This record gives sequence, C-alpha cells and structure tokens, in this order.
Amino acid sequence: MSLGEEIARLARILGLELDLESYLKAVEELTRKTAEGAELRRRSADWAYIESRPEPLRTALKLLVETGDVKLVSAVTGISPETLECERIEARIPRLVV
Amino acid sequence: MSLAVADTCLLINWLSFRRWEDIFRLSHRVLLPGIMVPELRSERVKSRVEELAYRGRLVILPRVDYVDREALRIFNLINSTPGLPRIDEPEAYGLAYAALHGIPFLTDNASPKVAARSLSSLRGVVVYDSLDLLVMLYRGSELRSAVEEFMSDTSVTFSKERLREAGVEL
Repeated sequence: MSLGEEIARLARILGLELDLESYLKAVEELTRKTAEGAELRRRSADWAYIESRPEPLRTALKLLVETGDVKLVSAVTGISPETLECERIEARIPRLVV
Repeated sequence: MSLAVADTCLLINWLSFRRWEDIFRLSHRVLLPGIMVPELRSERVKSRVEELAYRGRLVILPRVDYVDREALRIFNLINSTPGLPRIDEPEAYGLAYAALHGIPFLTDNASPKVAARSLSSLRGVVVYDSLDLLVMLYRGSELRSAVEEFMSDTSVTFSKERLREAGVEL
C-alpha cells in the first residue's frame, strides 16, 4: 500500500474530508524545506550548555538537535514541551520556521 | 484579528521576545486552551501568563468534549503522516477550537498549516507563525530589526525562502 493510499484510508476511518493531493504535496515540500535543519542545529547549538544539563534533559536536547521536533522529543522523553522550548532557547538550538 | 488561539511553544517564544507586548496590537486577547496550562512549569512563564490572565489579555479556555473529538482526529492524521512534525494533544485541541470558532491559530509548528490547507473541517482557520505576525506588525527597516531581534531572543530561525517572500534581507 502506498503512502497516499494509507493516508486516504486513515482519513476515511477518521471521518475526515481530505484533499489528498494537496496534503501529500505540502508534506513533500515541507520535507524538502526542513532537510538542512539538522546541520544548522548541530552547528549553532551551545554544546557546552547541552553537556552541562542533567539527564534526561541532556539526551532530550541532543535528540532535539537531531530531529528539530519539540513535540516528538517531549512525547519520547516525557519532558513537557514548555520545558523543552525554554531549554531550547537557552541551548541556542535554532527552531527553523519554513 | 481581535482573538487568536496560541500554541504554548509560540507563546513561550513571544514571551522571550523583547517586544513581546506588541503581539497584543494584533490580537487584543490570546486564548490558551486550559489543557495547555499543565505544560507550563517555568516560574518565569507561569508568572507572566498569570499576569496576562489578570489583565484580561490572556484567556484560559475550558476543555470541551466536542472539541476534543475533532482534536483527536487531527492528532491521529498528523501524527500518522511520515515527514510531518508531531503535534501534541494541546496543540491539536487549540487548532480544533480555532477552526470551530473561525479564529486564527498561532503556532511555529508547520503541521497545522499543512493540515489547514487540506482538511475541510479546518477550512475556517487561518494559521499564522511568528514570521507572519512580525510581517503584520512591522514594515520596512523596522521589520528587519524586529526579525533580527526575534531570532536573537528566541533562537527561532526563518528559512531564506520565507524571508525572501516577506521582503526581509538579513
């Protein structure tokens, strides 16, 4: 089953009316635009600050550098998005808005 | 826009911005779903949120079942789509609430913008990110200064493409 078919099936199950073509196109465009984000975050982050943080925050910040996704890191580590966002600012990890 | 619903991360970034009070020139009141409040742990953010609530600038929305149902559907679709940044329950709730009432939703997460363009249930909602807000607030050289200050204060970076579209050269 292709990604498009999977998303269309999920939308049907959820009872959502979705313009599949524009949705997939937007996702593809977003993936392209955010591709350089990880390198930017690695380069700009304050690694001394990150290494100085206690666990599990240190690992969470490293994960944030790699993924750039606060909500994902929050879900995986159990650290609140608000704490992560405040720590992200302190650690100078760029949040790329595309 | 006299009212807007905000995601917690965007609100935190704006509260870190030296010109943070300017957001209220655009939206007289910012609505924050009550489901987002337990996310607030930092004393600095909590005290500012309490002060804004006291001044009537920030309104904490109650949790309602029928918004929750729509939020769950949005949450499931976005988080099942590879390539889309994750959305959490409070953000999905805020987006569903904004759509239901036809008021703007403020977030720096790209997923709600993508969803709002393609889902019929979200047709009523306009999603703005921080750069959209800065463009609405400032013009010309003041916009450029504000963007630089915002990026410095919050470590939010705007893509070159978005800056070009906004007419900002850094």
